[in-house]
Amino acid sequence: MTEELFRDFWWLMFPVFGMVMALIGLLQDGASRDHIIENARHELERK
Amino acid sequence: MTFEEFFHDYWWLMFPVFGMIIALIGMFQAEGRNRKVMDLIKAYVDQGKEPPPELLKLAGENSDYDMSFQSPKPRHSSAWSFVVFLALAAGFSVGYWFVRTEDYAFAFAIVAVTMGVMALGALLLLLLGRK
Repeated sequence: MTEELFRDFWWLMFPVFGMVMALIGLLQDGASRDHIIENARHELERK
Repeated sequence: MTFEEFFHDYWWLMFPVFGMIIALIGMFQAEGRNRKVMDLIKAYVDQGKEPPPELLKLAGENSDYDMSFQSPKPRHSSAWSFVVFLALAAGFSVGYWFVRTEDYAFAFAIVAVTMGVMALGALLLLLLGRK
């Protein structure tokens, strides 16, 4: 049954890959924005 | 109902569920971050200091994952949305054509029609939207 399921839905790996990439992009985008905010906060406290 | 049967019947649900999760995460993250940026800029101004340019840039631009409806989008985003939705509509239409005799063909038809309507909406926004 597992083999049959894979035969029927092998093509799903492409959209699933796209979804994983979107999720990674979301997390990386958030991390880079948080980094800018943290830097600005440190800069403000240091001055 | 086994997992295989369940997956066979409802595999297509993973796309709208994923879209909803990403939209929710993006919306909440953007809201919290925008508030932090504005508070920081206010703190800089209150102390009579110039906010860093990257912070001002962050305040001016929207994240690609910001799904909040009130955020204004640049004009060319409608053109890009039109292209993306048209491509998706075409892709799912071709998918529907290939599997039209199968039980689950309706899922492709639904997505193709939805994407077509979204493409039409993006085109109308592009043509009639605020200049």
